Amino acid sequence: MFNLLAQETASNVDAGKAIALALGIGLGSLGAGIGIGNIFGSMIQAVARQPELRGELTGIQWLGFALTEAVVFYGLIGGLLAFVLV
Amino acid sequence: MKRLSALALTLFLVLPQIALAASPTGAEEEFDPSQEWELHAWIPIHIGPLDLSINKAVAYLLLGMVSTIGLGLFLMRARIGSTNEVGRRQAVGELVYDIAQTQIAEQGLPHKAIGRWFPYVASLFLFIWTVNMLGFVPLPLSDEKFTIFGIELPTLAVFAATSTLSVTIALALLTFVFTHVEGIRHNGPVKYFKSWIPDVPKGLYPLIVPLEILGQFMRLISLSVRLYANMLAGHMLILTFIGLIFLTSPWVFPASVILGTAFYLFEVLIVVSIQAFIFAALSAIYIGSAIEPEH
Repeated sequence: MFNLLAQETASNVDAGKAIALALGIGLGSLGAGIGIGNIFGSMIQAVARQPELRGELTGIQWLGFALTEAVVFYGLIGGLLAFVLV
Repeated sequence: MKRLSALALTLFLVLPQIALAASPTGAEEEFDPSQEWELHAWIPIHIGPLDLSINKAVAYLLLGMVSTIGLGLFLMRARIGSTNEVGRRQAVGELVYDIAQTQIAEQGLPHKAIGRWFPYVASLFLFIWTVNMLGFVPLPLSDEKFTIFGIELPTLAVFAATSTLSVTIALALLTFVFTHVEGIRHNGPVKYFKSWIPDVPKGLYPLIVPLEILGQFMRLISLSVRLYANMLAGHMLILTFIGLIFLTSPWVFPASVILGTAFYLFEVLIVVSIQAFIFAALSAIYIGSAIEPEH
């Protein structure tokens, strides 16, 4: 009986870790998705209003894209660290 | 020529299949993509406490160095002055130079510093791009071996040197050191360190000063972890989609290959260039903001 319980808790901990990792990364990518959508939406609006500025805006757009996208990966690394260390 | 290259490409893609078929134990081993990031020392070199062993990441870095130099020579040294027409090679070279000049150096660096720091940010851009790109070319530099016609060869594998944290931290440390050396050289130590602290009431100093000092070190972490995590996640995704075929059933093959190829193309076409660009652009911005602080 105790043996069975011990086994179950071990597998429960693993399952909990997996769920926590997936939830963390999923919520993190939710935020980054909104942010990236905002960036590209604003870029489309800006180019539609002033097409001659496209060249200057492209660099800023990709800078913002990469900075926003990186947030997911901080979450991923944090989650992986917690997954491995705990 | 086209047929020949198509044949070469087909052979290149088919060869790993032979390797898989030749190693019947391979499929039965437990599949774990993170094994790709175990670095075994190929040629152990120990100098005192320093561990300078050549492992997979070092081999990829050396290869990246050689191909960056080759790419630079190939693009930038194209028949200067012999004809008036602009060749295709030269056009690509000028495009790269133009991106490095207008989008990276001029966005971040003040005018007086471009002459000194343009070579640094441009070579960062080209080097990181090449190393990232090498990470998506299947190369026979793997720890696993297979036997074909009695010869033992390493299997083809995708691995990027930039998907190990030590490589990206070394690159970020370069920028970190250059930033503060340039800041102190141009402004003097007292004025430079004072420029870290924004204009706030004196009462807030105990709160703001540690935060700003921490912020300088957070730059180091964010710069290195951004590149590292991007490349790591990309490789992990591709390896996982390939591994799904062996883990579940052969019927996932089409979906797995389509999704894997989609992520592969996304990584090669967008992420590789964006990450190289962002690393160089942020380095330029950091160095520029240290040379000319806003207040």
